[in-house]
Amino acid sequence: MSRWRPTPAEERWLEVASGLGAALPRDPLAARTGGWRGTGLLARLALFVLGFVAAALLFGILGFGNRINLLVAGLIAVLVAEWLTVRKRLHGSGIEEGLCVAGFLLIGAWITTLIGPEADVIGATPQTLVLIVAAGAAGWRRLNPLVTTCAGLVFVHWIGSTTAAYALDEVIGHGATTVAFGCALAALALALGAREFRRPSHDRMLDWLVATLPVTAYAQHAAWSFNAGGFADVGVPSGRLATSLLLLALGTALLLAGLRRRRHAPLLGFMGCVACLAVEFRFATALATETWLVFCGLAALVAGVALDRYLRQPRNGLTSVALTGRDDPLDLLQTAGAALLAERTARELSPPEPAFTPGGGRFGGGGASGSY
Amino acid sequence: MHTLEPELRTLHAEGVIDDATAARALARDRGQVFSLHAELRATLYVGVLLVMAGVGIVLARNLDRIGPLAIVLAVALIAVAFAVPAVRAKLAGRALTVTSDYLLLLAALLGSANLAYAERQFALLGPLWSWHLLLLAVVHAAIAYAFGSSLVLAASLTALAGWFGVGGTAGDALRFSYSSPELGARALACAAVIAAWRYADRRARPDTRFSDVMDHFGTNLAFWGTITWCLEWPWLAAGLPLLAAFSYASVRRGLDVGREVFLVYGTVYAAIGICAAALPRLHGITTSLSFVLTVVCVTAAVLWLFRRRLREPAP
Repeated sequence: MSRWRPTPAEERWLEVASGLGAALPRDPLAARTGGWRGTGLLARLALFVLGFVAAALLFGILGFGNRINLLVAGLIAVLVAEWLTVRKRLHGSGIEEGLCVAGFLLIGAWITTLIGPEADVIGATPQTLVLIVAAGAAGWRRLNPLVTTCAGLVFVHWIGSTTAAYALDEVIGHGATTVAFGCALAALALALGAREFRRPSHDRMLDWLVATLPVTAYAQHAAWSFNAGGFADVGVPSGRLATSLLLLALGTALLLAGLRRRRHAPLLGFMGCVACLAVEFRFATALATETWLVFCGLAALVAGVALDRYLRQPRNGLTSVALTGRDDPLDLLQTAGAALLAERTARELSPPEPAFTPGGGRFGGGGASGSY
Repeated sequence: MHTLEPELRTLHAEGVIDDATAARALARDRGQVFSLHAELRATLYVGVLLVMAGVGIVLARNLDRIGPLAIVLAVALIAVAFAVPAVRAKLAGRALTVTSDYLLLLAALLGSANLAYAERQFALLGPLWSWHLLLLAVVHAAIAYAFGSSLVLAASLTALAGWFGVGGTAGDALRFSYSSPELGARALACAAVIAAWRYADRRARPDTRFSDVMDHFGTNLAFWGTITWCLEWPWLAAGLPLLAAFSYASVRRGLDVGREVFLVYGTVYAAIGICAAALPRLHGITTSLSFVLTVVCVTAAVLWLFRRRLREPAP
């Protein structure tokens, strides 16, 4: 039994308790979980934000002007997080995670002030690397896959911003180095994911990298292409081809691994690769944007309909039907998503307001009634 | 990869979980049963999003080439085509699948786009053009009830909120600095309409599945309106008691039905409202930040305590 964080055995029992929910009485597990206490996903997110904000406010109260306050605020935040962990046995509750991440970042920010000028924290500088390491260390300490993944993603972009990467990009195409490095890292995480881990959190850290790396690594390449006009004559053709082949190979590997291991992360990574390939297809052709959007949308809908029909009756254990009614966050996300779509449609296609409305009192219109 | 099979077998051997629960959990752990429901939802959502984005551009760019009447008719035909799977399920007496639900949402959104476009081109409602949002809310609600679609109901509630002049998405919660008491009153009026609608729906159909969607919309709109009132005197006098009442009701509901999202609404919105009310009246950066830090700490502690009292529903 550890005072600092759950042992692998305790973490596994916590995972069992989380998976079975109310079907499992709490008392029989109390001793096995080591008394560690957590929350649900939504409360954890809210508490994470509150913890992070609390640490930032602490720095504000101590004073933004003095650099040493970064260290003091960071240390206080980390100590409070550790106190909550050791004395209150909090694990994965959000508040100690938010405090710890903010604390590590504040300490990292203080270290960056010792390295060089404040202006150099953007781009491939040692200062940025210090912040990435700080975030990664906080995520590792808290066994939090969200934080380690964020650190991993920023690290990939940091690699893509180095002088060596820029030199390489001149030869193989802009952003191609980031794509290659991101895909390599995703492939490595996928390979490591085949091993059996004692800690579910370690498994999840790799899963998140597998799911998110392809899209985020490609984003830098896509952003450059978009800014440059985004058509076939932009960039190095061989670089475009290499990027497409890389995404195709990784996507295939992710799909096969996801189906074989029955894991969501590789399948989500595969979907990301398909999305990247669709964008690459848009850049490689002179297709009109609206045609491309409708074509890709219809393709996604057809794929969804086919998948739903094919798997409505389970095949080899695969099914398109929900296995549990306990998907509250997903339902909430779906409702919010539908509302967002409806609002976008209404906003984009609303009839125009009259250009001049005497006494209308709207900002930018004719007349004034005091509201803006 | 990891497997929790030894732990699940231990629990089953000790009689802590019954045979059925153990069998289900083991089958999922081994991957003998694996659902692609989440991936399917994501794919369909992206499909709807892309098609709507594309159609929006088509409507904006190709007016001169095709002509407004042809566009309206074409989009209407496409919308009807997307509604076919839902109609077939309805005629066969089946519940909507996730696919037909999303296609029905796409049909409804295409209908919205078409109506807005027709209104823009032909000025059907004249100076009452903003009423097309209310019309949309009613039409979408009728479709939602006809097919039992929560997604289309969300579109209806968004249109209703739009008609009241308040946004129906979380992004609007971040625009407090541009808010006015009138906007708050409109948000509260909209929340009241949704609450009355929910009450009537529940009375008419005790087994309704729409209450959750209405709860989320009504709660968020009520809190946004109340927080807007907390920004200015004399609205503050009504805003703070309302904030306390809504927070209590939200937390009470969360504890009663075992939904932590309502605990989050009740505590976090209360914290934002208190800060919105107090900060303009505090002087000095240190005092203000100290006050906010105190509120944040108290909120975290209260949320944690409420969450501990919550019993999650069974899977």
